[in-house]
Amino acid sequence: MRPPLPRAGMRCVLPLLLIVGAAAGAWADDSAVTPTADIGNVSGAEIYGHICQGCHMPQAQGAVGAGHYPKLAGDPALVSWQYVALTVLNGKNGMPAFGLPTDQFEFVFGAVRLSDAQVAEVVNYVRSHFGNNWKGVATASQVAALPHH
Amino acid sequence: MGKNSGVPSPSRRDLLRMIGVTAGSTAMYQAMSSLGFAADSPYRGPIDLQGTPKGASVLILGAGIAGMSAAYELRNAGYQVQVLEYNDRAGGRNWSLRGGDSYTELGGLTQQCRFDKDLYINPGPWRIPYHHRGMLSYCRRLGVPLEPFLQVNYNAYLHSSRAFGGKPQRYREIKADYQGHVAELLSKATRQNALDASVSKEDQERLLESLRNWGALDKTNAYISSNTSSERRGYQKDPGGGLTARPIPSEPIGLTDILESRLWQGISAGDMFDMQTALFQPVGGMGRVGEAFGRELGPLIRYNSKVTDIHQDNQSVSVAYEDTRKPGTKLQARADWCLCTIPLPILAQIPMNVGPALAAAIAAVPYASAVKVGLQFKRRFWEEDEHIFGGITYTDLPIANIGYPNTGFHSGGKGVLLGGYIWGTNAMEFTAMTPDERVRKALDYGSQIHPQYPQEFDNGVAVAWHRSPFTMGCFGMWTSDTRAKHYDDLCEIDGRIVLAGEHASYIGGWQEGAVTSALDAIGRLHQRAIAAGATA
Repeated sequence: MRPPLPRAGMRCVLPLLLIVGAAAGAWADDSAVTPTADIGNVSGAEIYGHICQGCHMPQAQGAVGAGHYPKLAGDPALVSWQYVALTVLNGKNGMPAFGLPTDQFEFVFGAVRLSDAQVAEVVNYVRSHFGNNWKGVATASQVAALPHH
Repeated sequence: MGKNSGVPSPSRRDLLRMIGVTAGSTAMYQAMSSLGFAADSPYRGPIDLQGTPKGASVLILGAGIAGMSAAYELRNAGYQVQVLEYNDRAGGRNWSLRGGDSYTELGGLTQQCRFDKDLYINPGPWRIPYHHRGMLSYCRRLGVPLEPFLQVNYNAYLHSSRAFGGKPQRYREIKADYQGHVAELLSKATRQNALDASVSKEDQERLLESLRNWGALDKTNAYISSNTSSERRGYQKDPGGGLTARPIPSEPIGLTDILESRLWQGISAGDMFDMQTALFQPVGGMGRVGEAFGRELGPLIRYNSKVTDIHQDNQSVSVAYEDTRKPGTKLQARADWCLCTIPLPILAQIPMNVGPALAAAIAAVPYASAVKVGLQFKRRFWEEDEHIFGGITYTDLPIANIGYPNTGFHSGGKGVLLGGYIWGTNAMEFTAMTPDERVRKALDYGSQIHPQYPQEFDNGVAVAWHRSPFTMGCFGMWTSDTRAKHYDDLCEIDGRIVLAGEHASYIGGWQEGAVTSALDAIGRLHQRAIAAGATA
């Protein structure tokens, strides 16, 4: 059951973007739950730590159960920033799409959207950390030019 | 849905958002339902499968609600049934964590649940509405006793960290005052003839009378501090007996404060179809349903079985699996037909020779993120100090909900709260934490509503559904676009294989979706089996 309250409603439309708007809340300075920085300063590390590592794990080592979460550390597929960005934007199998308007989902509270700039940030972050050292940096406008299904 | 075409018509989006924030996420489903989706359970009584071909067999993948309701019916219809289950228990997302249980999430962190005897948390589903007739029917047939689930508690809180100085407000007061002020305004408008164009003179009298009734207005159509309004919102001093008997009416909160607080958004949760009284919970935890199914099916279920390959030909379906207690073991199961309830994120990774339409459908459904936190406290302070017996507090804090136990009132001793039920971004953020951090965060936030938390806390557990090894997410999230492109393909029989589960339903995220999808699937499978004859 979802909270009945306003911020939640805004968030379902533009989650991370609106975290700044929520800064009046009594919990706004909790860095574990929401980035406190201005949206322009939200780093790829923060996005990875707040969202991606839930599945891909803190060291990007992935995990195995009945299925598996792919390991991003040392994954040769990361050679292509476009591949990574497209996966983040449009999802893959059970992985949520982060590039779609959240109100396309019947369950709007479940969906989370990242801006093209945030996608670029996190793509660059995973391609240059966890032992990855791939050349090339994605920009927000390059991400914007990719298909958002 | 190109990125530019994704801009929704504001009215529809705003409507949905309003409904959603008002009533909660599950309510959103029902709002969507009224906008074009089917929602009521299509369950119309036990399925009647006649004429099962002799020796016909079905292999069922997954011992959750979908797989086990199918197994139960198919077995009763004379099929040879075998169920493969990844976990070492029956139920899947139908699950209760109790003292003594341990749970290892993806990533390897293990939690030992240290709740007292008879205390539990339901990491997955926790309520059954009265119209989920399929689930209720299985509870009855399996002998699972039910008790009321309290959705609305007038004495629980609506809380905003940004209104009333962060002080939680009683649902009762917000509802009465919102309703009273609105009734007064509408009454004024009526008497000032502002509604003449839409309400006849005759109806205006009835309208005024009804507004006095609905809003607890006085004879002059005003919402003021009075015994009448206090009968709704509660008194400053309650009526009693003897010399201390005389009540003192309470003072309503002003309209501006109510509107600015936005707490009115929490009023209508219990008005939604899925949340309307009566709702039920199994005595002892939701997991009692899965456990009862497990007992009923007994040796038909093989536990600790991880499916690694699904292959069909024109004779049968073969499934390769491994015993999770003996990694590397290669085992094989075979049957004429296969009902597959494996959650889609996992199924998408299992080799399976189905047609491109079904394969595309399986890959098209992302799973929602959700987190539940169970907190055991040394005493039931919400009852003892705050007189909250069951029900739910809603808050704008990341924990979103505090659910009070709907059973064991006045039992003394310890008690377990649902300390958070979290969706969306915050759920992903809580998932990214360690279980200990999730519990600590739920405590920190909950302390803003119940200051007794730090003093009374005993222990806790936290389940993040994207870390669940057996689902890799909470439930399938459909869009209107993916429904149109893939839903029918997901449900159609492909050769000898058919899918079932909440993901193959329009009651997504509810157990009733699992039941009705399973019954629909086996009904169709049965027809194929009859057509194919005994040995297929």
